[in-house]
Amino acid sequence: MNALPDRFRPEGASLSPPGDGRILAERLSRRYAARITGSIVMPATTGSYVPLPDNLPPVLAAALRQRGITRLYSHQAEAWAASQAREHVAIVTPTASGKTLCYTLPVLAAALQERAKALYLFPTKALAQDQLAELLELNAAGQLGVKAFTFDGDTPGDARQAVRVHGDIVISNPDMLHQAILPHHTKWAQFFESLRYVVIDEVHSYRGVFGSHVANVIRRLQRVCAFYGVSPQFILCSATIGNPRGHAEALIERPVHCITASGAPSGERHVLLWNPPVVNADLGLRASARSQTNRIARLAIKSGLKTLVFASSRTLVEVLTKYLKDVFDHDPRKLPRIRAYRGGYLPRERRAAERDMRAGHVDGIVSTSALELGVDIGALDVVVLNGYPGSVAGTWQRLGRAGRRQRAALGVLVASSDPLDQYLVRHPEFFRDATPEHARIAPDQALILLDHIRCAAFELPFGDGENFGPVDAVPWLEVLAGEGVLHREGERWEWIADSYPAGAVSLRSVADGNFVVVDRSAGRQNIIAEVDFTAAAVTLYEGAIHMVQSVPYQVERLDWEGRKAYVTRTHVDYYTDAIDYSRLKVLDCFDHAACGAGQAGHGEVHVVRHVAGYKKIRYYTHENIGYGPVNLPDQELHTTAVWWQLPQVLLDAVFADRQQTLDGFMGAASALHLVATVTVMAESRDLQKSVGSSDGAWFASTNPRGHSRVHGSDDGQRATPGAEPAFTPTVYLYDAFPGGVGLSAPLFDRRDELLARALELVQGCDCRGGCPACVGPVLAMDEGATHTPKMLALQVLNLLAHG
Amino acid sequence: MSPLPNHLRELRREAGARHTTAPASIPWAPMPSPSLPAHLQRLLQLRTHRSGTLGTPPSTDREVPGEEIAPGLHYTEAWMDWPPPAASIDARFARVGEPVARAHLLHFDTETTGLAGGTGTRAFMIGAADWIDSRLRVRQLTITSMAAETTMLRMFAGWLHTQSVLVSYNGKSYDAPLLATRYRLARLPNPLIGLRHLDLLHPVRRHWKGVWANCRLATAEHRLLGVVREDDLPGAQAPAAWLHYLRGGSAANLRRVLQHNAQDLKSLAGILACLAGMDDRAG
Ligand SMILES: [Zn+2]
Repeated sequence: MNALPDRFRPEGASLSPPGDGRILAERLSRRYAARITGSIVMPATTGSYVPLPDNLPPVLAAALRQRGITRLYSHQAEAWAASQAREHVAIVTPTASGKTLCYTLPVLAAALQERAKALYLFPTKALAQDQLAELLELNAAGQLGVKAFTFDGDTPGDARQAVRVHGDIVISNPDMLHQAILPHHTKWAQFFESLRYVVIDEVHSYRGVFGSHVANVIRRLQRVCAFYGVSPQFILCSATIGNPRGHAEALIERPVHCITASGAPSGERHVLLWNPPVVNADLGLRASARSQTNRIARLAIKSGLKTLVFASSRTLVEVLTKYLKDVFDHDPRKLPRIRAYRGGYLPRERRAAERDMRAGHVDGIVSTSALELGVDIGALDVVVLNGYPGSVAGTWQRLGRAGRRQRAALGVLVASSDPLDQYLVRHPEFFRDATPEHARIAPDQALILLDHIRCAAFELPFGDGENFGPVDAVPWLEVLAGEGVLHREGERWEWIADSYPAGAVSLRSVADGNFVVVDRSAGRQNIIAEVDFTAAAVTLYEGAIHMVQSVPYQVERLDWEGRKAYVTRTHVDYYTDAIDYSRLKVLDCFDHAACGAGQAGHGEVHVVRHVAGYKKIRYYTHENIGYGPVNLPDQELHTTAVWWQLPQVLLDAVFADRQQTLDGFMGAASALHLVATVTVMAESRDLQKSVGSSDGAWFASTNPRGHSRVHGSDDGQRATPGAEPAFTPTVYLYDAFPGGVGLSAPLFDRRDELLARALELVQGCDCRGGCPACVGPVLAMDEGATHTPKMLALQVLNLLAHG
Repeated sequence: MSPLPNHLRELRREAGARHTTAPASIPWAPMPSPSLPAHLQRLLQLRTHRSGTLGTPPSTDREVPGEEIAPGLHYTEAWMDWPPPAASIDARFARVGEPVARAHLLHFDTETTGLAGGTGTRAFMIGAADWIDSRLRVRQLTITSMAAETTMLRMFAGWLHTQSVLVSYNGKSYDAPLLATRYRLARLPNPLIGLRHLDLLHPVRRHWKGVWANCRLATAEHRLLGVVREDDLPGAQAPAAWLHYLRGGSAANLRRVLQHNAQDLKSLAGILACLAGMDDRAG
């Protein structure tokens, strides 16, 4: 695979002989030093091998040898030993380190020796198909006779019975387990009675709301298993995250044996962080990430390096593919060297693309995150990320796609103009030193818990004193009896309603109020997206530009009661931003602490959110080009928040007036929100910010001209903040889900770190007086103004950090 | 209503749930609540617990027909004069080659708590009819408590033997799988496994689909047997009738469910007699 066919031999004198990732990294660093904000080198590691274990069933060992596997990596052997010791196992090793074998060996051994069954859960159908293919190959190689089937929404009704009865290994996903398997567990009785292993791959993707749901589905699974008298062993696999053991244990609520040391060899690896050059210094505009990505990929492919480009949307994939094809595929008589790979292709097309890539026929692949997880496409030399994928862990997962044993690999992260990208590309230490983000779940989130206790009660009656996970179920059962779905008789709580509760619970949202986005372009009626109820008011108002996979659609009509937004494809050059006012009131302070000259707190809050209208903002220039009205009901939210405040006397002494104080707080809120999003691995919309007084008497918003202003609790606007008798401005960061999903507690614990990072973010920003990458959009800045938003924000942050 | 339900309702409304109030007629039986974990109390602001409210007052009309043969399990038995089929039935109409002995037939029909499917739906009534000499014996088991379900399932299992031939209307797809689930949940062997099963819906469809407006049992019995039901409780209302009784309400509609179920069994036996001897035209 390393030898290059003739046609790839460099033709021009300007090209160096076939190189590797290191040579390309050096060339790029020389030529584009100003664009490279960080450079990381990871030396090659040698593999750590052990012989095939003695206690491996002989037929299985023979099948492995047949496939050319004569020894194991040390982590595979460790997983085998731990599984044979009946431990739950979590394996956290890099991409392409052979983690599949860690669970395949114990599962096949148990199937061969005891006809024991295994359930595999993958987050996506595509991955399930890949797993199946791999299992079948090994199975065929050793003529093992183990039957493996996928069970998902595509499994035809008449095939389902065969899967249930004959499957030794059933490969499915959490949604199917939740909606189709557990509520019909009696049909799966034989399967459950012999269930020995539950394999859950990609557990790093089970975080936040989705992870909290999945943890509850696992509680239900364990409960059903107990009914059939089994207690299966769990084998979990994860990409690198900061808390692999903690996360695995939170998901299955059992102690796990955590394996983090990979025995797989890896080649030298280079990573470059790349910020596009400034093309308009006055506006602070940079060249597009797309142009930079294209340039880097072109150079890599010309140097004879197999290259993978990740882009965030299908459109970008198509655009970048076209750019590269224009260079490399102009001769239609030759095999295409560039391929696109994205969701929306038919499985057959995907298989063909994967085969071509594995066979080495393709030199450049442009992909969405459809390729991110597990899909095998062979060895690569270079990965280019067009934009930050949203998390440090996700960045490493994608960069990990490049790597060969003998040759150095290169990964390049090209920052977009998004504030988060700009923050990260200027902080290489996030990638170099900091541990990756922690995956967090909140399985006891009140609404999620109630949903799953409801589903669990449908599956098996509850008895008094029975726990659900660690939770005493009785108070929740009382609530369900109050709803009329349970009937209590003696010590048992029996399902009594004529409904199928799992059908109404989506694992990706809190409660069932999701809006669907219906595309009506060109007479179609396609559902193209779902939006959480809590996000609907700020993203789906009539007139909003709603992005679906980076494709802009305009909302034409919002059916609030019917939970539908009708959109059409649009080509406008602006995006929209809701003008929303949030009023918070602290209901209960769980904890507080001194913080510089002020105080930080954490507790339950009541939020009222009002969307008054929206702004139209032109791309790139961030020019405000118009307004639109919004007429929607107020949103109420009981949730948890973390907050910071400073005493009035101090503020009056430091700031010239209250307007400036408020501008400073708004800027500080933007910076804190940005660093907090990075710190807790949250989606930025799951964490919201607000500035107001702690008693809910007033709250601030940014007016269209970029100035903060104050609103009273009666919604009437007041011209100046100074009119407030008690003026205690507070920055809030709150969890955007009713009841919260556990984002604010870790933020409170790390409050000092957040302040330090926010301070450093604003101080270190290249802008003069404030910009979207630090203190938020600053639209109307006076030339030569002495009190810039940036300076005011720094004052607030300094008072909080140092007093 | 206690603060927990109220608080949850509020959270669900905030999350966009559209149906957050309990059906008005359903009583809510309160009991002393053990305290919630501390962090939930904090989140949900639970400081006190107040007793809930009760719904509809108990009815005095609580008479369920038959004999209470075990706590919560009522048994009825009736003998009917109804035209019997031949002692040996040609079952080719149902694609069964061998003739079936009339004495082995067991017509059965369940009344259930709903159509949602899955493990949460149960049968609260199992009716069965068989030919004793040339009279039709209709037996019905009705539970008036959840705990009596296992006894009912055991009793019904006792009515079956290896020679039994089940007769049903859509029972292969509905009643039999549902009972299989209930036996499994009760940790009892499923007595239906391995028995021959004549599901009359399929031959009726083969003969009259497109001829009649539909092939429901009510249509078939009317067309084939001339049955006209009076004061029949529609099958869809059976779940509510039982639930109402279970929660202390009147037994009036539950008694109508028994009548409805008995008529279903009679019609099953009559339709079988009509079909017997017809060949499998569509096959
Ligand atoms: Zn800035």
